[in-house]
Amino acid sequence: MRGCYTLCSRFGRVPSIQNCRRRLSLAPLSNHSSTLSQPDPFALVASELSRIRTDLVHLLGSAHPGLDEIASYYFLRPSKQLRPLIILLFSQATNGLGRDWPLKKWASEQARPGGRAENLDEPLSRADVLNDWNPNLKEKTSFYDPLLSLSLPQTPTKLPQPPLSAFDSSERTLISPAFVLPTQMRLAQIVEMVHAASLLHDDVIDESPLRRGSLSAPEAFGNKFAVLGGNFILGRASAALARLGDPEVTQLIASVIANLVEGEILQMQDVESPDGQAVPSSQVAKNAWTLYLQKTYMKTASLMAKGARSAVVLGGCADGEVYKEIAYAYGRNIGIAFQLVDDVLDYEAVEDTLGKPGGADLQLGLATGPALYAWEEHPEMGPLIERKFSQAGDVELARSLVKKSAGVERTRALAVAYATQAREVLQSLPEGEARAALEALTDRVIKRKS
Amino acid sequence: MPPRTTIINTAELHSPRLDPFVLLASELDYLRGNLLRLLGSAHPTLHQLAQHYFTNPSKQIRPLVVLLFSRATNGLGDGWEQKKWIAECERVSGRHEELNRPLTRPGVLNDCNPNMSDDTASFQSLFSLQTPQIPPELPPLPLSYKTDHTPILANPPIILPAQIRLAQLMEMIHVASSLHDQVANDTNSPSDGTGNKLAILGGDFLLGRASTALSRLGDDEVVELVATVIANIVEGAVWKAGNVGTRVVSALSSPAQGWNRYLNRIYLGSASLLAKAGRAAVILGGSKEGEIWKEIAYMYGLHIAFANQLMKDVDAYEDDADSFKAGPTGPLLYAWEDHSFLKPIIERQLSEDGDVEHVRHAVHTSSGIERTRTLALTHAEKAREVLRFLPDSDTKDALRELTIRVVDQTR
Repeated sequence: MRGCYTLCSRFGRVPSIQNCRRRLSLAPLSNHSSTLSQPDPFALVASELSRIRTDLVHLLGSAHPGLDEIASYYFLRPSKQLRPLIILLFSQATNGLGRDWPLKKWASEQARPGGRAENLDEPLSRADVLNDWNPNLKEKTSFYDPLLSLSLPQTPTKLPQPPLSAFDSSERTLISPAFVLPTQMRLAQIVEMVHAASLLHDDVIDESPLRRGSLSAPEAFGNKFAVLGGNFILGRASAALARLGDPEVTQLIASVIANLVEGEILQMQDVESPDGQAVPSSQVAKNAWTLYLQKTYMKTASLMAKGARSAVVLGGCADGEVYKEIAYAYGRNIGIAFQLVDDVLDYEAVEDTLGKPGGADLQLGLATGPALYAWEEHPEMGPLIERKFSQAGDVELARSLVKKSAGVERTRALAVAYATQAREVLQSLPEGEARAALEALTDRVIKRKS
Repeated sequence: MPPRTTIINTAELHSPRLDPFVLLASELDYLRGNLLRLLGSAHPTLHQLAQHYFTNPSKQIRPLVVLLFSRATNGLGDGWEQKKWIAECERVSGRHEELNRPLTRPGVLNDCNPNMSDDTASFQSLFSLQTPQIPPELPPLPLSYKTDHTPILANPPIILPAQIRLAQLMEMIHVASSLHDQVANDTNSPSDGTGNKLAILGGDFLLGRASTALSRLGDDEVVELVATVIANIVEGAVWKAGNVGTRVVSALSSPAQGWNRYLNRIYLGSASLLAKAGRAAVILGGSKEGEIWKEIAYMYGLHIAFANQLMKDVDAYEDDADSFKAGPTGPLLYAWEDHSFLKPIIERQLSEDGDVEHVRHAVHTSSGIERTRTLALTHAEKAREVLRFLPDSDTKDALRELTIRVVDQTR
């Protein structure tokens, strides 16, 4: 099984999914890892992760008590924080390597946009123009003042200019001890906010009653306000993004906001089963898989991939340097692996461990990995998928077909393949604790039960 | 009915009246067509949205203000030459319009990052490490451009592509908010699954495209401004709804507090967008820190939005519409100032039998409606006041005309 992947370097031939799917054994991933006990990736950055949560809620304060409540709702319950974790670890694994690291390090100590932690909340426009009143940030925000009149703006203050040492071009090495810039911390929060906003909308669209073990936001506040709460979080996240002062990062994260909804729309696309009651032809199967993986990338992996890439950009990786490509490839592969496991758990797990109802995908008419694989073994699955399990008895029949088939096992194996690929791309980074943690994470993503 | 008072500076009575919608007719048509095409191409389910937008055309006030202020100030800002140069470079390099690209067909993945191309072939195998790319750099501003800038309006008037994109995305944000406003709150109502889902996805789709386009304007100040508009719109909607969730909004204790809340609601719900849109347009035209041009745009947008909303709230009372749910508006607040007996009625949000009639009667027998109308007209006049700081042009005449239109009750 190893031979399938290890030699596939960045420019080598990568085996096609079709071939992999047939050749894979069911051996677990950890066979090819060393016998050293694996680090706990969450433990390595535990204090940063907890700071992220508390500070994040701070950013969402509103004068309206109801909105204040909705915006912070999903952050008050424990969450995996997988996305901030990836960002923190990639920051630690690459800070120091990029050409512009000395400049970024210098900037992080200045009182300027994209500088010190406290400066990241400084508005770029005057507070009495923005009027994004946040009771948690009384000095930096303001409330609409009806007496505001035309005022001559103040002359701009000159920003500190970087010294020559900030352009030092000596050999780059990984920073030790590991260091995370204030901008990278803030990015982790922004990514978590974008994720939470998408959950709010998804829970309304999917009519989910539960999330993370409690009432979903639509159940607690109603559909409309759950949607509006998501928009509010997005607005605040986008403002914070602008204050990072990096246009490339702004573009990356903004594009994720578009990806998320376009993935949702892709999901609505009809899967065609023109062969009727036959096992899908390879073209039909390919189309169905492509749609599924595209959707998975857009809805799940894109945020991780572009978030990781953004972290590395904030650390001073310049155009032409490989580090942001590594980050993107890692995020993309681990993101897909993560979602594939999620899709497997939906068939396997019981409500208690998941925190949300299991078996949701079929109820929503979604054909995920296990169903698509089952289709290859059971032709009668085709019409069910095509009509999105909408007829009475469809869901139960589909579930039993998946159970009879190797759908779950094969999906798990595919997840392992993606996770292994994520681990592979890391090999181009210098060794260290953060890289080891990222490797360990690929294992965790596969092994999780919720 | 008392005669309508108009507040217009007599000197301006003889200024040319130029219809802003006519002046910018072709740009507005272009924008409307783009938005229709975008909605229509997204997904068959979203086609309905295109239909709806087609049959209920928006007045396009927001894009209009963006375009007008661009035209009225391009050339004045210190950074104008640079902005013009960048636009010229983009035009020559054939940069394509991300904003309007139709949604992905199954053959092509729509990944919106210029440095990473993606297509469906890339999903046939595990994703491997890509070769790093170096994007082409813009050529630097030629030395022949003047280094010390004197503010002169560009002649003939120009609107930059970036400003047109801004106009488009502000309209998209507005349409997205309207769609989300239609989402039914009650989770227990007979499942109108398609209705809600369509409104949510349609709004999200527009917000997603708008965010991407916004980020590509390449200006952090503008991104921050528009981001706060999105947050403000939500706050306005929530204040309008009153109590949401378990925490209760305190009841109004005085007319002054009522006015604060009312004006704040107008700011959040409509003025913020119009004010910041104009400001952003001027920033994209190269207006720098320390210059007055973007301040003028901001105050103008603020005042015409207030003028417009106040007049709408007057209409609501005159049409005898049931407009009390969101909280007291101008006419009622003025009436309350004169009649303290209204306090308990307002406090209990007109919930008892007979409350609505009492209030209607009190408003109609007080000067509430007339005073609100006067306030609207005052705002329109304030908008004209700030315009005087702009150099003369036909666009300025059009902007002035708009201040009259937004309070015109025969519209």
